Amino acid sequence: MEKITLREEIHSKIDEIKSADILVGIPSYNNAHTIGHVVRAVQAGLAKYFPDKKSVLVNSDGGSTDGTMEIFHQSTIEDFQSILLHHRVGSFFKIATPYYGIPGKGSAFRTIFELSDTINAKACVVVDSDLRSITPEWIELLIKPVIEGGFDYVAPLYHRHKYDGTITNSIIYPLTRALYGKRIRQPIGGDFGFSGRLAKFYLNREVWETDVARYGIDIWMTTTAIANNFRVCQSFLGAKIHDPKDPGADLSAMLYQVVGAAFDSMEAYSDVWKNIIKTELVPIYGFQYAVGLEPVSVNLDRMIDKFRLGVKELGEIWKEFLSKDVINFLHMADGVSKEEFNIPDEVWVEIIYSFAIASHKKVISKEHLLKSLTPLYIGRTASFVKETWNSDASEVEGKIEHLCRIFEERKILFIERWNNERG
Amino acid sequence: MDIFQKLVIGPFERFLEKALHFLPNFITAILVLIVGIVFGMVLKVLFLRFFKAIGLDKLSERSGVIELLRKGGIRDSVSILLSRIIGWLTIVVFAVISMKALEVSTVERIFERILLYLPNVFVATLLLLFGYLLSNFLGRAALIASVNAGMKISGLIGRFVKFTILVFSGTMALEQLGIGRETVVIAFTIIFGGIVLALALAFGFGGKEIARTYLEKKFLKEEEKDDIKHL
Repeated sequence: MEKITLREEIHSKIDEIKSADILVGIPSYNNAHTIGHVVRAVQAGLAKYFPDKKSVLVNSDGGSTDGTMEIFHQSTIEDFQSILLHHRVGSFFKIATPYYGIPGKGSAFRTIFELSDTINAKACVVVDSDLRSITPEWIELLIKPVIEGGFDYVAPLYHRHKYDGTITNSIIYPLTRALYGKRIRQPIGGDFGFSGRLAKFYLNREVWETDVARYGIDIWMTTTAIANNFRVCQSFLGAKIHDPKDPGADLSAMLYQVVGAAFDSMEAYSDVWKNIIKTELVPIYGFQYAVGLEPVSVNLDRMIDKFRLGVKELGEIWKEFLSKDVINFLHMADGVSKEEFNIPDEVWVEIIYSFAIASHKKVISKEHLLKSLTPLYIGRTASFVKETWNSDASEVEGKIEHLCRIFEERKILFIERWNNERG
Repeated sequence: MDIFQKLVIGPFERFLEKALHFLPNFITAILVLIVGIVFGMVLKVLFLRFFKAIGLDKLSERSGVIELLRKGGIRDSVSILLSRIIGWLTIVVFAVISMKALEVSTVERIFERILLYLPNVFVATLLLLFGYLLSNFLGRAALIASVNAGMKISGLIGRFVKFTILVFSGTMALEQLGIGRETVVIAFTIIFGGIVLALALAFGFGGKEIARTYLEKKFLKEEEKDDIKHL
């Protein structure tokens, strides 16, 4: 793959910068509405908390047509006194460049890792360009554990609306926690801090032609850091409010990329996760507080209808790898009224583990397998919404905790199936 | 003595003469066959290494070919399967050449015709096999995509894609074998052209708006957007 640092304009910029202490990467694709705020928050954070450090802000863009890169260049803090700073001490550089490779967030990150490696950055941060709730403190909380605490990977911890991040809550968090034993609440949060040496480690992996180059990047970064024994922690960042990810991207493609990357990591690190039997807390930085979040509207009827359509049409495919009990349950769930509709945790865990086994055994093509998960995921999300409609944040966390425990309890059985059922 | 010469010695001498004339051809035929077997085995090994080197198995795994082979009871990888076919084809070709070396005119003519027709059978078989695999794969892809798009007639779409590809590959195979060439092509053209024309009429003459409203009512549920953010 072509190197971004070979581009003339980047090369000359790097010659000017030479080396830096901190690199902040912002991947973007048509985020003109929000990137200005993100840039200003990052700049304020760097000026306020790391005034003596040399910093580089990188925008790795996927070919935006709405002027995202121009806004990135134009956005700056005019009046440092407004953030209680009289002058900016350290030097601050900006680079905006389109990335190479497969279009996707992962390719944007690859460019950021490459630049970090080239300028020998000690600490890096990546923040999404669709953020509306980012504050200068995020930069401090994501960088300080690396620079002062000796951590290699800082995962975010935020308060999100109970129906924001449903792939995280129903699949990725419980699965990652059960497999790798680390209770990282937002393994695909999108905003991470990491050391320069971890960036170099990421850069040298041969994954940039896979789903890691797309939405699979977040889970891949988290599992790679844990499985390779890098020191990990979490930082509490407050509320996460953001625009929806690429409204043009369909749910089944996102689900395929994220879950596919998680399953690929399971293959790569099976020797690691098979030996982990307990889960442990991960150190948390930052002052935790409660936040109010905007309500969201949910179309339950449409979700349940999609689940039913899936059961009717995809049942034959699922029969190849789901147990008879699960298939019978799904048909039963298809038959009940919307008021009675429910997919319990036990069934959901069985479904996810069965999909993982089917992917491992290569029962059907991976893309078909994971895209056929979409109606089940939608059904499960509908069930979760019904169950938690009147629940507050702590009750919702309690339910997610219950799901995690089921994942953990059934791991032994899952390992047996993984070992025994190789096709 | 004359009778004995005529009835026994004469025919025996002629047989011996013919046998002596035939023997070198027979030995040549056996040798060609042995060379063919060895060559076929060598080619099999070489192609197996080549296919593995270019990552054919990974490609077939990604495209779902492996999975369809397994469904058909074939447990071998695509590399092994293809290299085995190449090996056997080489042996068959050499077997035909060895038969030709016998210089028996009837056998020669039969084998010549078989030899000339063999590539057609091979190509037709490949077309059918490939068509079957592709129809299963794309049929299921269409089914899953339309289910995820919330289309009520997903099953119909999946079956339509599968059937169309099967018919298409069947037509191509029959054409390759030279069976009812024109009839098959005309029948296929009429069916396929008819479907396309029907769709064109629906969208064109029927009116874009009407067709759209109809399709939305028929295939899609009322879409009320929700604010759930999955990632």
